[in-house]
This record gives sequence, C-alpha cells and structure tokens, in this order.
Amino acid sequence: MLSESARMTTAEEARCRIDYPNSKPRATKIIALDPQSEAVVKRLAQGKWQQASFFTSVDFDGAPRGGENWSMKAWLSDLAGRTKDLIDEVATADLVVMVASAGTKPKTAGVIAEACGVRKVMTTALIIGSDEHTDEELSRTLAALRPHAGMLVIASDDDYIEQMLVALRA
Amino acid sequence: MLRKEQNDLLTQTGPGTPFGQMFRCYWVPALLADELPENECPPVRVKLFSERLLAFRDTDGKYGLIDEFCAHRGVSLWFGRNEEHGLRCPYHGWKYDTTGQCIDVPSEPIESGFCKKIKLKSYPLVKIGPVLWTYMGPPDKQPPLPEWEFSLVPPEQVFISKRLQESNWLQAMEGGIDSSHVSFLHRGDLGSDPLFKGAKGNKYNLSDLQPHFEVVEQPGGLYIGARRNAENGHYYWRITPWVMPNFTMIPPRGDHPMHGHFWVPIDDHNCWAWTYDFHPTRALTKEERAAMEAGQGLHCKYVPGSYRPLANKDNDYLMDRAAQKAGRTYSGVEGFAIQDSSLQESMGPVCDRTKENLVSTDNGIIMARHRMLRAAKAYQDKGTIPPGVDPQHHHIRSVSIVLPPDQAFKDGAKEALTRHRVGAAQTTV
Repeated sequence: MLSESARMTTAEEARCRIDYPNSKPRATKIIALDPQSEAVVKRLAQGKWQQASFFTSVDFDGAPRGGENWSMKAWLSDLAGRTKDLIDEVATADLVVMVASAGTKPKTAGVIAEACGVRKVMTTALIIGSDEHTDEELSRTLAALRPHAGMLVIASDDDYIEQMLVALRA
Repeated sequence: MLRKEQNDLLTQTGPGTPFGQMFRCYWVPALLADELPENECPPVRVKLFSERLLAFRDTDGKYGLIDEFCAHRGVSLWFGRNEEHGLRCPYHGWKYDTTGQCIDVPSEPIESGFCKKIKLKSYPLVKIGPVLWTYMGPPDKQPPLPEWEFSLVPPEQVFISKRLQESNWLQAMEGGIDSSHVSFLHRGDLGSDPLFKGAKGNKYNLSDLQPHFEVVEQPGGLYIGARRNAENGHYYWRITPWVMPNFTMIPPRGDHPMHGHFWVPIDDHNCWAWTYDFHPTRALTKEERAAMEAGQGLHCKYVPGSYRPLANKDNDYLMDRAAQKAGRTYSGVEGFAIQDSSLQESMGPVCDRTKENLVSTDNGIIMARHRMLRAAKAYQDKGTIPPGVDPQHHHIRSVSIVLPPDQAFKDGAKEALTRHRVGAAQTTV
C-alpha cells in the first residue's frame, strides 16, 4: 500500500488543493530616498497594485528618538503632492521599501527605519543605478542603509523593483 | 509569487521549451564516473531534460551519451551488448559507436553503405574529476568545459553523490538559496552532524535567528549574504554564491570540507540533487569520507542498488514524531538532505507559485527568478548566451567571515569570493 506522502504528492492530488485567496492584501509603502530614485518610483506608481502606496520625498523636523518617546515629526509626500505623516503611514504598513540611488548617502533611511522599528514593520532597501557608480560610491550607500534594512538588495536594473513588488503581492 | 506563465516557463525544461533551450547552454552533470567504471561495462540509462538517453563506455574507454532507442524498431539499447567499439542492439544486431553513428547493420551488405545513413542523436560526455558532464545544446554553441573547483581538486580531496528528488528542479534549487530555513529545519543537525559540528560559526547561527540579508548581483548569478550578530558589534557573514541556473556553494564551517549542490532536471517532475564535498587544501580524512559514505552531512542513505534515498515518500521519509517533539530534529525527518527533499516534494511535483506569499527575506529567490526570466528572454530573442556558461563564472567561492559593521561583504570578502587558484585556502569561521 502506498504511504500517505506518496499518495499526496502526485500531480493529481496537487489539483485538489483548495483554490481560495490564502492571504489578505498587504500594505506596502515604497519611499524614494533621493531625487534620482523619485523618477523610478513615479514610474512604478503607474502600475496596477493591490495595496501599494508610493512616496517621493521626506522632510524632517527634529532629531529622531527611539522607543516610546517618539517625538520627531517626519513627513512624506505622496504622488499627488499631499503631505503625509510618516508615523501614520508606517503604522498602516506591512512592509516599507526604501529606494535609494547608488552613490547617495540617504540620511532619511535612519528616521524611516526607526519609525518602522517602533511599529515593528519590516524594512527592505533597494539600491538602483549601481552600474553608473564606482564600487566605493556603492559601498558608501550600502553602509548608510545597512543598519536600517532587514533586506538590502543591489539591483542592476530598475525592472527588478517591479518584479519584487509583484512577487511580494504589493 | 509568480504568474502562471512565469512559473511554467521556469519549470518546463523539455525539448523545445524556452527555458529548456536556455538550460541546454550549460554543461551539466550527467552521471557519476563510477557508474561507468571500466571499458565495455554495462550501459546506463540516463534521463535529462525529459530526454531518454543511454550512457556507455566503449572498448577504447570513449564515453557516449546517445538516444536510448535503436533506430530500427525502437528497442531500448540498455539491453545492448557493449563489445568491440560499439553497442550492439540484441534484437537484430544493429551497432552504434559513442557518437550514435550506426556502424553495423548485419542484414544489409556492408557495400551498400546503409549503416552510414543511420545515426542516433548523441551528446558529448566528458569526464572531469568524479563526474561525467554533458552538453545538450546546439553543437555550434558548445562552450568550453566547466571549471568548478570540486571537479578540479585531486581525487582524495573530493566526495560527490547524487540522489533522486521527486519534484521539479526549481523548488529544489530555491531551497538551496533560501538561507533563512537553516536556522529552523536543520537546527538539530548543526551541533551533531560530524561534517558540521564544532565550527565557531554555528554559535552565531543558533544565537541569532533573525539574520539580515544582502543580495548582490555577480556576473554569473548572485551572492546572497546573510549576516548575524557577532562579538564587539561585528557581523558574522555567510555568503552563498548562486551561479545560473542551478549551482550553489554553501558557506564553509570551520575546517570542515566545503560543499554545495547542482540540481539537474530529469523531467518536469523529477530532478537529480547532486552534492559535492571537497577540501581545497587537504585530503578528506578517513572519518569525513566514512561519514559522507554513510549519508551524513548533505548526503543520504540509499535504497540499495539505486540513487533513491532510503527515506523517501513511500515510507513517509521515516518520519519520527518523537524526535520532532524532543527537538532532536526540527521536522521529525533525519538528515539535511531528506529534511529538504521531504518538504520540497510535499509541495507537489511542480510547486504552484501563484499561491505563495513571499516575504522580503525571500529576495534572493525573487532575484534569482528575475535573472533567469531575463536570461531566458534574452536567449530566446537574441541568442544571448546566459550568465554562468562562461567558465570564468565558475571561479567562485562561498565564504564565512566576520566583518566590521560598516563594511560591505562585497568589499570585505571580495578576494575570498573569487577562486584565484584551485587549492587556495578557503575563508571560513
């Protein structure tokens, strides 16, 4: 007699898997950290997404503070130019994706990461345009982002960001 | 997740499929050299990329990989007689050389030249180290021979095995670049397996269950770096190279041998999981070799006379719920290899990636798929040779290393990630 594992791993059995949505849409916030990455984020925003929101600039008022004593004010700008409170946006996010251009040293990543840390939201950082910069410049950007991202990716082509967001059901 | 058409593209490797055509640009392991141990030994059935083939070694020691079936009446040449410079079909005596050329049709006069008009499809079969490699792509695009380090070190420094995995190749390969599963699925074995235990790096692995990742493209594929906290604010990095489309090298642990995998499609529902162990600077010890032969480390025990794992789906992988409950194994299945294969086969013959929910730490997998899709399109549209074909792309190393927090692994381990010379010492913690 066939074992249960043998019977259940056939192609025929695979067809009996329950067909239903096994996840709810996840809120993904994509934030451009510098002027060069804004163009990429704006282009991405033209696509069809489940629950992705795109932001293009960050403004800060005051130094970040961690833990429960969060008092910093930080602002994002959505594509329509409306100002959004960083904390409010992070609070409703499942994942925050930061997009930075190689060669930049984005100071704002630390503020965003701190907000994500307070709200226990995962962060991913993508570095684009690596082909146009020296290894040293790229390393500077990596070093600036490393403390602030659970996942750090150097993408040699901008298409990767779109592929990644699709893969993550953004 | 992948769209259905993307999943189909990456998982279908039979003749004429877009990804199958790209996959055929590479030299792939076809069989162990030991499977054809001497001249005129019995032929061996080989199925690769959904093509039924037969490997044999003729009177002069030449290797051949030819269509399994006789051109006359379709008989399997596995029944053939390997004699006098060719393989003779036992049905009517037609005989073939290692190139598939028919060299004798006894019923036809030699003068008629009939046999010259009969030729079976064949592929080159070349011995490099302990493996026989084949190239199944267009002859005019045949690349130089592969230069993987494990196949170039002296025989006493290497051990290689293969096992049947009853699933599509892609879900097996993706397990190999999914670094975060090690701290869960394999955690019971890090401290006990003789080919893993004792390394200082194990301590970092087990004490930090939330590794951070960096994915960096390299000419042949990717470097996937996982960092965990070490002493004095430093990071312990484990850097896994993935070379397109099916090669990985696992970061080393202490002075243990280095190891890794190839996954080669048999058909769309089965693949060969090849596992190599080698030490770049010394012979494997008697104890190490004995452990490998006994199925420890990344190897496995077999059903006698086959390459099918002894623990397989027919016996529920010898699931031990008591060991699972006691924490001796995390999943209840023993050994790295079968821990992986049991879960990967449970996905079904071809994993339906339209239903999966990847998370940001799966970026290594996402990037690998992206690169393969991009390469398949470039090959289909423009005939662009994909990354990983060039033997220079094989000159890589995996690395485990402790680095300062502000140093990128691509800089701090740059030299160590390149194999400048076969036999140079590895960088390991």
